[in-house]
Amino acid sequence: MSNVNVYKQRPDSGRAESPLFHAGLDELARKGKNSAGVTLREKKLLGHLTLRGDASDPDFAGGVHKALGLELPVALTLVANADASLQWLGPDEWLLIVPGGSEFATEQRLREALAGQHVSLVNVSGGQTILELAGPKAREVLMKSSSYDVHPSNFPVGKAVGTVFAKSQLVIRRTGEETWELLVRRSFADYIWLWLQDASAEYGLAIKA
Amino acid sequence: MSQVNRLSQGGRIDRSQPLNFSFNGQTYQGFAGDTLAAALLANGVDVVGRSFKYSRPRGIVAAGAEEPNAVLQIGSTEAAQIPNVRATQQALYAGLVASSVNGWPSVNTDLMGILGKVGGGMMPPGFYYKTFMYPQNLWLTYEKYIRKAAGLGRAPKENDPDSYDYLNQHCDVLVVGGGAAGLAAALAAGRSGARVILADEQEEFGGHLLDSRETLDGKPASDWVAKALAELAGMPEVTLLPRATVHGYHDHNFLTIHQRLTDHLGEVAPIGQVRQRLHRVRAKRVVLATGAHERPLVYSNNDVPGNMLAGAVSTYVRRYGVAPGKRLLLSTTNDYAYRVALDWLEAGLQVVAIADARANPKGAWVEEARAKGLRVITGSAVIETRGSKRVSAARVARIDPQALKVRSPGDWLDCDLVASSGGYSPVVHLASHLGGKPVWRQDILAFVPGEGFQQRLCAGAVNGVFALGEVLADGCAAGIKAASEAGFAAASGELPKIFGRHEEPSLALFQVPHDKSTARAPKQFVDLQNDVTAAGIELATREGFESVEHVKRYTALGFGTDQGKLGNINGLAIAARSLGISIPEMGTTMFRPNYTPVTFGAVAGRHCGELFEPKRYTALHRWHLQNGAEFEDVGQWKRPWYFPKAGEDLHAAVGRECLAVRDTVGILDASTLGKIDIQGPDAREFLNRVYTNAWTKLDVGKARYGLMCKEDGMVFDDGVTACLADNHFLMTTTTGGAARVLEWLEIYHQTEWPELKVYFTSVTDHWATMTLSGPNSRKLLAEVTDIDLDKDAFPFMSWKEGQVGGVPARVFRISFTGELSYEVNVQADYALGVWEKIVAAGQKHGLTPYGTETMHVLRAEKGFIIVGQDTDGSVTPDDLGMGWCVGRTKPFSWIGWRGMNREDCLKENRKQLVGLKPVDPNKVLPEGAQLVFDPKQSIPMTMVGHVTSSYMSAAMNYSFAMALVKGGLKRIGERVFAPLVDGSVIEAEIVSPVFYDPKGDRQNV
Repeated sequence: MSNVNVYKQRPDSGRAESPLFHAGLDELARKGKNSAGVTLREKKLLGHLTLRGDASDPDFAGGVHKALGLELPVALTLVANADASLQWLGPDEWLLIVPGGSEFATEQRLREALAGQHVSLVNVSGGQTILELAGPKAREVLMKSSSYDVHPSNFPVGKAVGTVFAKSQLVIRRTGEETWELLVRRSFADYIWLWLQDASAEYGLAIKA
Repeated sequence: MSQVNRLSQGGRIDRSQPLNFSFNGQTYQGFAGDTLAAALLANGVDVVGRSFKYSRPRGIVAAGAEEPNAVLQIGSTEAAQIPNVRATQQALYAGLVASSVNGWPSVNTDLMGILGKVGGGMMPPGFYYKTFMYPQNLWLTYEKYIRKAAGLGRAPKENDPDSYDYLNQHCDVLVVGGGAAGLAAALAAGRSGARVILADEQEEFGGHLLDSRETLDGKPASDWVAKALAELAGMPEVTLLPRATVHGYHDHNFLTIHQRLTDHLGEVAPIGQVRQRLHRVRAKRVVLATGAHERPLVYSNNDVPGNMLAGAVSTYVRRYGVAPGKRLLLSTTNDYAYRVALDWLEAGLQVVAIADARANPKGAWVEEARAKGLRVITGSAVIETRGSKRVSAARVARIDPQALKVRSPGDWLDCDLVASSGGYSPVVHLASHLGGKPVWRQDILAFVPGEGFQQRLCAGAVNGVFALGEVLADGCAAGIKAASEAGFAAASGELPKIFGRHEEPSLALFQVPHDKSTARAPKQFVDLQNDVTAAGIELATREGFESVEHVKRYTALGFGTDQGKLGNINGLAIAARSLGISIPEMGTTMFRPNYTPVTFGAVAGRHCGELFEPKRYTALHRWHLQNGAEFEDVGQWKRPWYFPKAGEDLHAAVGRECLAVRDTVGILDASTLGKIDIQGPDAREFLNRVYTNAWTKLDVGKARYGLMCKEDGMVFDDGVTACLADNHFLMTTTTGGAARVLEWLEIYHQTEWPELKVYFTSVTDHWATMTLSGPNSRKLLAEVTDIDLDKDAFPFMSWKEGQVGGVPARVFRISFTGELSYEVNVQADYALGVWEKIVAAGQKHGLTPYGTETMHVLRAEKGFIIVGQDTDGSVTPDDLGMGWCVGRTKPFSWIGWRGMNREDCLKENRKQLVGLKPVDPNKVLPEGAQLVFDPKQSIPMTMVGHVTSSYMSAAMNYSFAMALVKGGLKRIGERVFAPLVDGSVIEAEIVSPVFYDPKGDRQNV
């Protein structure tokens, strides 16, 4: 532990502004329409941790399981329980998302379970956000935006991929039959928000709080 | 005279829905279901434009994408203008406004028409080159008028009010063309459960079946089309794309489709709808069922309005209920075109005669025509027509196609419509976009698709299969094969029954002889859109253009939006004959995307306006907006450039900001700097290898500046890296270099040093960074933090953790201005609150927000480089005078060490970074200005370097610059000169690049 600086970065109180704070989504949600083909919700201010380690080392997978109760997901997938989701990002890289404020304790728990191993855990909570896209037309919005094949035969529930999106990149995660999550970097959030409004205009877009 | 040519019954139009439209200022009426071309013909509009070169009046020739003349300008308002619309492909809607593109000043009374007729003979191929090239400097003047007279449409001058987008599609089988073959293929593939896209360019699926005389299962073919479509629409994995032209076949079975979603509804899309969509399709298999275009016959004055493709006449009669004339004369080389005469007769109109070039035709429809009393003149063809704006008569004579001779003087027959058919050319365009050369088949007198380099099949007429029963079977087989190859179990379904019909081969006739030689006969047009004649092609070959590509370029055959649809085969056959070679020896020209014109709107999609390019913002952006910042683009980031107060320009604002930092304290949003979290026991060793300097002895709690080079020893990035713990570092990079530095680290780790235990994670977006800089920064920060800021407890080049504004922060005491500075990093979600608390506390200290411009000036006063501004990928650390940052004794060879020790990199006379102090302290050297040692030398002068950064210093009250100068480090005290474009010269003294506080006392207090 002492070889790494583990630092509680989120204050216990104080004003927090998610990457789409300026869009006033809560206000838009109050004005929302009912018959929209697409709904959008920011799952904001969650705890995001990037985990890196050796997937082929049983101790690593075991440690992760011990700390989180989750199996390491295989390539291009996502596993989740009530509190956390763990997503494969690369051969030695995963994204762990936990309730906002619990990321520091989670990092400590993981570090303890993985003590002695060569791993990396980095808090990236302030740098990204999740936009949930749902509804019967959500898939068409994705087709307008990304060249990745989002057809159910190629993109079942539980799949997650990093891909091109409009002129940017992000991660697409399918969490339900008509529910998708976009993992968006903070600095690109406004561009993606503008893009999504535009792409879903013809289907009707409703904001959910 | 409303709809004089509309038949009293028939057609697939809706006569209960009349639609008004205008053409060249005149109002007409058509019906829902018409194309614009059908409606124009229904109204007896003969002339739709003037030809491109000779300005001859031209009428509608075809009924589909191959139409060469009715290429119109559409739009009632400036913003809605669309050029290059084929009237044959534009559905009629209420209020449509169309006009001719050729014919300045007007279609019917045209200055050029007179010149055209008289001057026609004086405008052979190459006319413009030969006539207007000299004197060369006048060409631009000539060109302006020639282009205006030539027309060819114009782009709108106002913003397009519509929206366009892309849709990325993936499918197992893409079927191109919704005619008989395409429908059969889509059904067969769709029934297997494969993901199928069926794209068709017309208003309705069905293609040729919509106007066919033939029956399927004993019913009109259109009934089967409706049945097939109903079945396809019921398949969840089948996507039907009507009004969708597959216009490009690209590598890896990537095809682009231009779909016109609302063009049939009006010139502007209904509110909320997308006007056009570009489908970007990645298909496992492609079935090309693109059909065939009928070839017209090439005879004299075959361009006078009233000369049409035979099949087009049938289409207008049967599909649109329009008879484009009263008295039809048919000239054919094949059986199939006889349907036109039969259709015409059934519509109650007069068939003057059928001229059949074959000696003794006996096919089923030939016999049917004879049985119905039609006059069939065998061994003959229309060799010439007469008429100015409409055909009034045509001369039918006996011909000898082999000898290209006329064997009888022939008879002039009165008629107002000449329909011609020289056979059918498969639409091989898409099949050839990727280079597969079409292959000639003498048995059917046509080019068919050659080798396919992609996973594609061809079916139906494009494959040289013409009989309806065989077309359906071919389509079905292709659909089955495509679906099977894509991994689906496809089975043959039942095909509709067809009434068999005896058909005889057609005759090869690519140019109809005239009793005068080709050169002297009245013009025999090959390519109507580009005004290419048989004589022109002959002339081209006589002048030595033998390759088909050269003939094309010399004559313009198949150029532009035509892309060789109507005239190509006739043209190259004429060239082949003229050169005495065979058609396959001649070959075809290259077919290129796009098959038909695509609007710029569809190409741009949503990537325009605010969405043209991503804009990246920091967590503090709202404050910058509220406080009047002007912004600068740094990569994709929007960074505050300066914060002008009322009445201030850039110069005044930056001067004020600079003085504030030097005198008291300023605050900068530095969140855009790249930040990389590095963890692992070998992190330190990794830094040793990627940075030029040494990292072994950097203690926990300390920070160090580092330079990064590429293998060639040239500076690539720089930044401060802090040691957070023994196995934990935080690296900063330049704003623009963040992504490429991370990739660089990963590449070296993954490919060169995988044994090093280290991981890299970008935290650029996670941390927001606020830089407090200036002599009062300590005093200010102390008011909002619990960190001990004592100069010994928290010295220069170290970092601390603690609360700032009630939020956990990492504070780095590093400086890019030369002043006492603290960089405060907090989780970005909380940054704005912290910034606001600092700003509030800073009021009494005169805290001044500053932007990138002030940052640039302040760092330049200190001689600090900006990678990419003072370096350009050809500058070593020694060139920058930064040899102190090179670890010459590091044990492991690091990136750039070998490179920077090459002989050339060690030369003393390399360009080196120096400071420049203009002799006139009010003159600011332009950045980029070239430098010379001797301003009096003759031009071209020997240039010895250039200015990289240049500003006016408010703190020092004189102008200064940084520059790369040959051997500059040894020339301190000498003079250089910057001769400027206005003829003036700025003289400057070469000095050290560190202008301000050279000992660094101010940052170390």
